[in-house]
Order: sequence, then C-alpha cells, then structure tokens
Amino acid sequence: MSPSEAARKEGDAARKESEAAHKESEAARQESEALRKKIADADIELTDVSVRYGTAKAPVTAVADVSLTVERGEFVVLVGPSGCGKTTLLRLVAGFERPATGSVEVRRKVGVVFQQPRLFPWRTVGGNLAFALARNGTPRAQRTSRVEELLSLVGLPGMAGRRTWELSGGQQQRVAIARALATEPQVLLMDEPFAALDALTRERLQEEVRTLAAITGTTVLFVTHSAEEAVLLGSRVLVMAAGPGRVIDEVSVPLPREPTTDVAALRGDPCFAALRAELAAATRRVVAA
Amino acid sequence: MTLVKEAHRSRTATDPAPGQVAGKRAWAAATALRWTALRLLALVVLLAAWQAVVTAEIWPRVLVPSPADVWHAFVQASTVHDGVRGYSGHLLVEHLAVSLRRIGVGTGYAALVGIPLGLLIGVLKPLAVVLEPAVTFLRTLPPLAYLSLLVIWFGIDESPKIWLLVIAALPPIAAATAAAVRGVPGDLVEAARALGAGPGSLLLAVRLPAALPEILTGVRIAVGVAYTSVVAAETINGVPGIGGMIRDAQRYNQTDVVIAGIIAIGISGIVLDALFKGAERLTVPWRGRA
Repeated sequence: MSPSEAARKEGDAARKESEAAHKESEAARQESEALRKKIADADIELTDVSVRYGTAKAPVTAVADVSLTVERGEFVVLVGPSGCGKTTLLRLVAGFERPATGSVEVRRKVGVVFQQPRLFPWRTVGGNLAFALARNGTPRAQRTSRVEELLSLVGLPGMAGRRTWELSGGQQQRVAIARALATEPQVLLMDEPFAALDALTRERLQEEVRTLAAITGTTVLFVTHSAEEAVLLGSRVLVMAAGPGRVIDEVSVPLPREPTTDVAALRGDPCFAALRAELAAATRRVVAA
Repeated sequence: MTLVKEAHRSRTATDPAPGQVAGKRAWAAATALRWTALRLLALVVLLAAWQAVVTAEIWPRVLVPSPADVWHAFVQASTVHDGVRGYSGHLLVEHLAVSLRRIGVGTGYAALVGIPLGLLIGVLKPLAVVLEPAVTFLRTLPPLAYLSLLVIWFGIDESPKIWLLVIAALPPIAAATAAAVRGVPGDLVEAARALGAGPGSLLLAVRLPAALPEILTGVRIAVGVAYTSVVAAETINGVPGIGGMIRDAQRYNQTDVVIAGIIAIGISGIVLDALFKGAERLTVPWRGRA
C-alpha cells in the first residue's frame, strides 16, 4: 500500500465517520423538532398547576400539581367524582381562575359552554347570538344571516325571535352552544353541558356535539362525571381523584371519529361497552380510595 | 346533522291546550272579581264608620267633616261655580296636574343622575366608599329640612320645588341601582366575559340590562317618595299644586278641602303605581322567569 493510498483510505474512513455523525445529529434534530412542533401544536398546556382556595390560615388545595396537554383537534374528557377539581381545571383554561403555582398556556381562541345555558333573558335568542357576534367583530350587516346559520347548525332554525325562557332546557343549551360557536373558537370548553337535561335530549346532544367536533376539527376539553359520556365523546379520557384534585389515570378511546361516524350506533359497540366498564371501574376505585 | 327534530316536538309539548287556557282565564277573572268586591265592601264599611263618627258628633264638624261635606268640597274644587274656578282659581285636576308634572320632572332628573351614579357606585369600590354614606345621609333627611336652604338659594318659584323632588327621589334610585348592579349574577358576567366582552360592554350590555328590573323598582319607589315630598315642596308659593291647595285650605280651616286633596293625592298615587307596575311588566317581561 502506497502512502498516498493509505492516506486516501484514512480520509475515506474519516469522511464516513463524519457522515454517520451527521446523520445521527440530523435524526436528533428531527426528533427534537418534532417534539417542539408537538408542543407548539398543543392548544392547551398546563404545567404543574396548583389551585388553592380558602383563607391563608386554612387553605384548601383544589388542584395539586396537575400537568396536562391537549393537542390540536383532540377531544379530551375530564372525569371524576365531584370535588376532584375537574371544573376548576376547565375554569383555569378559560381564564376564570389563576393558578397558585405552575403555568397555564392556552394557544388558541377559547369558547365556553357551561352546565347552565346562562343566556341573557333581556335578549331574544337571536340577540344572544348577536351579542357574541358583535364581541367577535362581525359587521352588523352580516349578523342576521350568521345568527340564522348558527341556529340551523344547532337545529333551531327560525327561532331567532323567540324569548329565551320560552325554550325548553335542551333548546336553551343548544342556543348556548350556538352562542359559544358564534365567536368561532378553535378550542371549546364544556363543563357538564348536558348534566341538567333529560336522558333523551342528552343523548341526542352528545351525538351532535361529537359529530360537530369531528366535522370542524375543534379541540374540545369536556368535563363530566359520567363514564358513559366520557367514553362516547372523548378521544382521550383523564380520570381525576379528589383531595387534592389530581389526574391519576388516562384511557385513550380508539373508537372511530370520522365526520360520518354513526355515533348512536357506537353505543352498541362492544369496544364501547368494554371501555365504559373499564372507566367505570377506574372511577369507582378513585371514589373508594 | 339532524338537530331540527327536537325544536318542533317540544314546542307543542310546552303549549297548553286552548280549552285549558280559556278555563284558566275564566277562573282568574272570577278571582279578580271576588277581590274587587272585597275591596268595595271594605270601602263601604270605612265610609259607614266615618259617617257614624260624624253623626255621633264626638268631634266638632269643622274638624271632622262628613263624607258628604268632603264630596261637596271635591265637586266645588272640580267645577266653576259662582264665577269662581275650582279652588283659588284652579280646578282640582289642574292642581293635581301641576304637582304630577313636578313629580315627573323631579323624578326624571333624579333618574337621569341617579342611574349612572348608582352604576358607578355599584362597580367602582372607591366611589362607593365615598358616595354611599352621602346617599344614605341624603335619604334620611326629611324634605322640609332642606326646603329652607333651597328657598334661600333658589327663591320661591319653580326651581326649589324641582330641586327638592330631585334630592328626595335621587337616593332611592341610586341605592337601588347600585344594589342591583352588585346583585347581577356572576354566571352571566362570566358568560359575557367568555364571549369576549370588555369592561364597557360588560357594564352597559350586561350589568345594566340585568339590573333593569330592580332599577325600575327603585324608580317606582322614588316616584312614591316624590309623591310624599310634593306637599312639602309646595308649602311655599305652592298654588297651583295639590300640596299648595292643601296648605291653603289648612290656613282657612277648610278641613273638607284638605281631606278631598289628600284623597286625590292618594288615589292618583295608586293609579300611577299601577301604571308603573304595568310598564315594568312590559319593559322587563323576563322578570321572575329567568
């Protein structure tokens, strides 16, 4: 082997080595970028959040060190016994509460649907929607047609002129949903929105909200105490425990979530039944503990 | 999506059958009739007792005139007789109209100032700390106490009378508005905030309309206060004016005119209060329903 040949071989090896190293760093870079992108993509991010109520002498910890990420387009359901802080978490995201420690980041526009419709009784059904549209900067000329669009979306076409108290509970909650959608939120926060409704109305609204989320791709954070509702609606269910409030379990729901999915038929799906049983057992353990 | 079905179904479910409505209405009418009859009966008993006292001559006729005397005074004050127009140149209704106008203008100004003032007191804590004792101070003063001051400042024409009624009517309106604004359900405020409402629209588009029922009640109470104050406002140079008429009749011991005037004030007060309640029902139809 001539010295020149040896030198060439050596150079080759070095080049290969550096190439490999480069590849490795490229992979690492890609991975970190994916991670960063994933974090940046998350619509909601709670990091080590605690919430305390009460006086300085007798503080009550409602939520302790909860971390929670909701990705874009996810339908995350918080489930757990009363007093476990699930509503508090939702109110944190909505900006109604401030954490004692930790950070809350909400990266996109939020809309809220409460357990009670909370409609403004001095305004008509259409007036309630127009209020939201006005706050959202919709020009006056477009409001009437937008109101009608939104009412059709929630199945109440032609009801714009009605008084809110003339509607049934289910209709009022539909108006509340339409009003929240009027601000075109990318993230929808729903706090036991169907708890006060009769069973039939509740089932229908569950199906409609699931389909609506699938069609629009809206991110949803949903609070309920019903295992059945959680499994039917959520792509991911977080189980919470009380005293102090914390997330103790996570169940992902592999049921289909297409815009065309027949949600009513899912109730008869064996996978749905199994998940519901699993989740019910998990929540029972939480209550017993 | 199939969201339309429920809308139609529950509309029919909530509306009662037409027959039921007619039955309910007839029943309500019968009840109203019964209460009206009871009221008339009480009135008759009162008049009979009054007449009995007069007939027994416990007190001299000058001090306690009979119902017939008062009726006569009422008719005299309401008609032109022997070239005299009503009482001291004005018919009773004219006296009453002048007083009602003063009450209306006074309460109007009081509402114009009192509602914004109450809104601010209800929302801004520092303002409440300063102004709330002032409003309470004003409220506890009897109108006659500051009438002298108003006469010194504004003379004896129309302006001191209006000022007195404004001062009397303002505290109840401001206090009711402040309490109402504070009592607005936090749920509604939160919902409005979630829809993107800023401080301005929260105050004017949420707190104000939500507080409107209690504000109107405050105005109604203020009209009542103005009513009770109008006689005080008209103690000096009060003719024409129902209070002035009463003061004038008192000077000449015309007890029957005094009583006729008092009854006129009372009855017009009842009518006005009823009108106000009706207006409240029209403007805040959601009261007690949501």
